[in-house]
Amino acid sequence: MNTIGCNEFLNQLGDWMENNRSADARAHVIRCGDCRSLVADLTAIQESAPSLALDDPEPSPRVWLAVRAQLEQEGLIHDGRRAPAPASTGWFDAIFAMIPRPALAAAYLAALIAVGAALVAPGSGYFQRTSSGSARWLSRTENATGPLSAQLNSAEQDTFSSFKTADPTVAASLQKNLAIVDNYIALCEKSVREDPQDEDARDYLYDAYQQKADLLAQMSDRGDIGQ
Amino acid sequence: MRSLATQPGPLQHWKKASVLVPSLLIFGVASASAGDRITQHFRVDPHPVVAIHNPGGTVTVRAWTKSEVMVIAQRATTEVAFDATQTGNRVDILTHALSDNAAPGELRTDLEISVPQDTELQIHDDAGGVNVSNVLGDMNVETITAGVDLEDAAGYLAVKTVDGSFQCVRCTGRIEVSSISGNFRFIDIHSPYVRAQTSTGNILFNGEFLPNATYRLKNYSGVIEVRFSPGDSFALDAHSLKGQVHNEARLDPPSHHHFLPRLGNALFGSMNAGRASVELSSFDGTINILKRD
Repeated sequence: MNTIGCNEFLNQLGDWMENNRSADARAHVIRCGDCRSLVADLTAIQESAPSLALDDPEPSPRVWLAVRAQLEQEGLIHDGRRAPAPASTGWFDAIFAMIPRPALAAAYLAALIAVGAALVAPGSGYFQRTSSGSARWLSRTENATGPLSAQLNSAEQDTFSSFKTADPTVAASLQKNLAIVDNYIALCEKSVREDPQDEDARDYLYDAYQQKADLLAQMSDRGDIGQ
Repeated sequence: MRSLATQPGPLQHWKKASVLVPSLLIFGVASASAGDRITQHFRVDPHPVVAIHNPGGTVTVRAWTKSEVMVIAQRATTEVAFDATQTGNRVDILTHALSDNAAPGELRTDLEISVPQDTELQIHDDAGGVNVSNVLGDMNVETITAGVDLEDAAGYLAVKTVDGSFQCVRCTGRIEVSSISGNFRFIDIHSPYVRAQTSTGNILFNGEFLPNATYRLKNYSGVIEVRFSPGDSFALDAHSLKGQVHNEARLDPPSHHHFLPRLGNALFGSMNAGRASVELSSFDGTINILKRD
């Protein structure tokens, strides 16, 4: 018998990933395919992270603060501590501490996007247990995508502050294409608002978020090179 | 409708460039400090890795029969540093600016590289162009504005551009390519797996549909054009969320349908035995499935 639900399990996800697993959480994972799948995905990321390791593992403190705040806000981790992010050694930090800096922004944004997509996907048990119609669906989608969008905008500001390239045509191209992606994000968000149950529109929206994260990572990479 | 097959590809642009660039060089040579030409050779074992990082300029890689890598670097000026080093069976080729104040044209380096056929290539070239021919090893190419033109490649090809175009002619390996506004052209390819995604770019696929192969072409806007012959065998799933799907193929309905499903701007069905899987999707672009000329 399932003793806890998905929400409670998600609150314990941080502990789970650090191998502090309660009997209730174990029972839930055995029973719940969605949470089992989420755990499997996060474990795969955790296990593959070391292979990405290079010799520049130190991310910006702002990144960790943003990741932690984001995950807490979405209920994916439950931790009363507001520890200084760079010193933190939680499971999520541990994963991303091993990823090289240029790949970091894209990697962690991609993880956020994947988790967000999993939470609002129509087949998601989380969704099915917490909403019953389009309005709720739209609400859930907006709750998941709103912070992602804000996170990307914040990353964009950071990226522009450090972005440096000697070639103005390259800089112009990156900015032009960022505008293209932003435009598609706006179009996709509009489509999702108009038809919240349209899986294709939501897929395109998450693709567009992913593209923006990739593009910002490329720009960030060039910023690092320029410094 | 205008066929993508008639639009100029990277090759045509290069032909134009070959006329324009010499002219520009004639005018530019008076103001820039003298560049130079550097040639280096590296003996390598089978399956070498060649990594190239050249922010500005063309990168031309050709396969040859020698067990060596030869690099010819043509620097526009001495404001750009060129460095080629060998570590084991890996050769790293790097150019970078020596001055923050140099104009982009002064930082240009054109690289001509000859490699064994089985070489694995890793290429970063922001602006300029990448041309690779007859290299059979795996390839990872990343550019910003530079177009990527591959011919007779056979390895696993991973290509990423921002707005550089991509063309693959007679490629036979697994291909994954993504861009934001670059156009893609797949010509005479014999690949078991193609995954291509661009936002505003057009995609032209004019190749063979191999049995059990998968071809996934996706964009947000622009045109996706697939050419087929009457004997081709593929199962088609084509849908454009806000755009149009035009089809000239005689498709049979899927096995669980008695009619050809056409739901809004979506089309599903099989041609002949439906051996290859063809998935075409667009947000608001146009999808054309047209007979091969």
